[in-house]
Amino acid sequence: MTTTVTAPDAAVTPAAAPGGPRARAVLALALFEARDLLQQIVVLVFFTVYTVAVVRQMISGHLGWHELTGREGMAGYPALQDADRETQTSAVLLGVALFLCANRAALRSRRQDTDRHFGTLAMDPWRRTLGHALSVVPFALFSGLIVAVRFGWAALRPGAVGHGSVFELAVSPLTVLLCGVAGVLLARLVPSAFAAPLLAVTSYVVVLDSLVFADSHWTQWLSPVVAESGGDPLPSDLIGRPAAWHALYLTGLIALLLCAALLRSGGRTARIKAATALALAATAAGIAGQSPGPSAALQAARAQVSEHPESVERCAVRGATTYCALPEWTGRTADWAEAVERVRSLAPGAAAARPLTVRQRVEARYGLEGDPSYDPLTAPGVVTVGTRWGGNRVPEFSTGLASTLVAGDEKAGGEVCDGRVVAVMWLALGAADDPLGQLRAVRLDDSTEGGSYVLTPTSGLLMSAGQTKVVAELLHRPRAEVTARVKARWTELTRPGVSTARAAELLGVAATGLGAEGGNSCSE
Amino acid sequence: MLRVTVGGDAGRGAALRALAGAVWRVLPWRALAAAGGAGAAMAAGTRLPGQQPDALIGLLVLRLAALAGGLGLAFLFDDPARHTTETVPVRRPVRAGLRLALVAPLAAGWWAAVLFLVPAAARPPAGAVTLEAAAIGAGAVALAAASVRLRSEPGPGAGAALALLALAVAALLLPSRWDLLAPPGDPDWGQAHRRWAALLCWAAVLCAACLPQPLRRRRPALRTRRPPDPDAPAPLHGT
Repeated sequence: MTTTVTAPDAAVTPAAAPGGPRARAVLALALFEARDLLQQIVVLVFFTVYTVAVVRQMISGHLGWHELTGREGMAGYPALQDADRETQTSAVLLGVALFLCANRAALRSRRQDTDRHFGTLAMDPWRRTLGHALSVVPFALFSGLIVAVRFGWAALRPGAVGHGSVFELAVSPLTVLLCGVAGVLLARLVPSAFAAPLLAVTSYVVVLDSLVFADSHWTQWLSPVVAESGGDPLPSDLIGRPAAWHALYLTGLIALLLCAALLRSGGRTARIKAATALALAATAAGIAGQSPGPSAALQAARAQVSEHPESVERCAVRGATTYCALPEWTGRTADWAEAVERVRSLAPGAAAARPLTVRQRVEARYGLEGDPSYDPLTAPGVVTVGTRWGGNRVPEFSTGLASTLVAGDEKAGGEVCDGRVVAVMWLALGAADDPLGQLRAVRLDDSTEGGSYVLTPTSGLLMSAGQTKVVAELLHRPRAEVTARVKARWTELTRPGVSTARAAELLGVAATGLGAEGGNSCSE
Repeated sequence: MLRVTVGGDAGRGAALRALAGAVWRVLPWRALAAAGGAGAAMAAGTRLPGQQPDALIGLLVLRLAALAGGLGLAFLFDDPARHTTETVPVRRPVRAGLRLALVAPLAAGWWAAVLFLVPAAARPPAGAVTLEAAAIGAGAVALAAASVRLRSEPGPGAGAALALLALAVAALLLPSRWDLLAPPGDPDWGQAHRRWAALLCWAAVLCAACLPQPLRRRRPALRTRRPPDPDAPAPLHGT
């Protein structure tokens, strides 16, 4: 009889798992809890809403949910130093859901009276708490993925300019993680079901209070998401947000809340105590780093760029036009040139060949939230262009350019109120793809009838009801016919003091019913 | 010991009186007090020195206070002894109605106090805001009643509060044609308050429909689970 003796199979002696069986148990619990969180209706609904909201924001280029209907078409030309920050606000939605549901999950054993049974299991209560906190991580990772997709989408647009910041992009997943860990900590501190919803409402008030009512920079930055928006995009070196410090603060705060929850559940090991000290130090360092407001050097640089943009700009000559752009915006010259050539193509030879300078300007002195306004330039042939582009910004720029071409300089162009308005608006919009739509877009009240204010990058100009009537009539007619007439009568159409009625007559439009003063808008 | 004699109006009245004391004691006082305190603290915050609230902030604070109050009311039907009281002769609508009747004057008094805590200059039209608060409170109670009816669990409050909060966030995201949160002086203010009134009616209807006890007990929703894996380690967690 032969016996075969084989070496013991490798599977009989299990290899030591990475981190040991306790770490594996925590991980298994975290995975189970994550799956359970995903099955909560609130998380599921908020998740869907968050994803849908982000996708719609990606397409429309707008921050707010309510503004989605009034899209201005600037999504194709994002400034990446703003696009990174825009990913932050919607993360709060996911954060609130996870705060509530992680809290509820951590209280489940108490609610169903199974706490007593856990005493017989090998797992320590603090490891159970750790498992609950770790169950939020997949959601934070998902939020990070959404942020990456959204930012990547913006960065890949051909019209994108500027540079994003990794620390700004990290705020979204960190906020989600912070909310979940805070929910677990709250469950360990106040083990009752009504604490979390009430605290959610109260903390909303507190956060609002720190944002709306507080003027001090440092309390504002204690809020997880600080979305400063409203101003024009600034060059990235003038942003001056303490993004790295804020990311450190959030990381430290997450670790601190987690350690507090572990300590509260009885995890008094030396490692947890050391981690608590480290987290406290990181949070304090983050707060200290993010608290100071804009430095004097930054404010000087902002003032320099606002008052003398030419000191930092790079200029390129294309045909008769010089385009001076801030260093990060030089790639946009081609888009500006397209708009300039469209306007020039409608003017006769001499006017079409007049040298012009397109000067990019940005108002950085009032920070990221100030809604800026620009005084018109007085230098002959110099036209302002802002840091935004696309959608309504294009006809606005064209109108400013056309008024300068007609009146000589930007300041005089903004004061045009006689029959020359007809020539200005024809030059600005006549060669556009959808001239009447652009007329609506460029007017403050989105109308094509009656008097209104026309937006330009600087001071804008006034259109009377009569002028609107003539311009709308011209925009309805075949382009070649009107272009030929305008070119033939150019000198008389652009003579200062010509009445709107006379301009209408020259262009073959019925000059009746144009209102007082021959249809001019000078006294309005 | 509660002794209930059935028969005659006098007997019913005596039973109700006897029941009222017991129900008063088991009301979820901690949740109600926490919610009421939080709401009153928010309103009182507008009177802190250095605060100059305008009408918009006053309205926001009152809405949030109403939401806090609603979160407290969501716990109104929490009854740890629910499974043992299913067979008592006093029917569920009577017991639930008693809870409502006991809490309603308190809630009304609390809301009046909250209204007066906001300075007069920042106070929006009282009737309209009270309508909003009533709709929020009725919504909370209706959610709790629905939870009791559908799931027959002893503590429906936590789920109802969560649902109320989720609905509040959803209201923030409503498109403008269904907007509920019109600012004061908005042309949509009247229309928005007609929507609030409709919400109040719907909540009352839902509440009335959910109060009676179902004739057959629903089986608790079964979760589909995979058959246990013989190789898997012993479960580390209970549920």
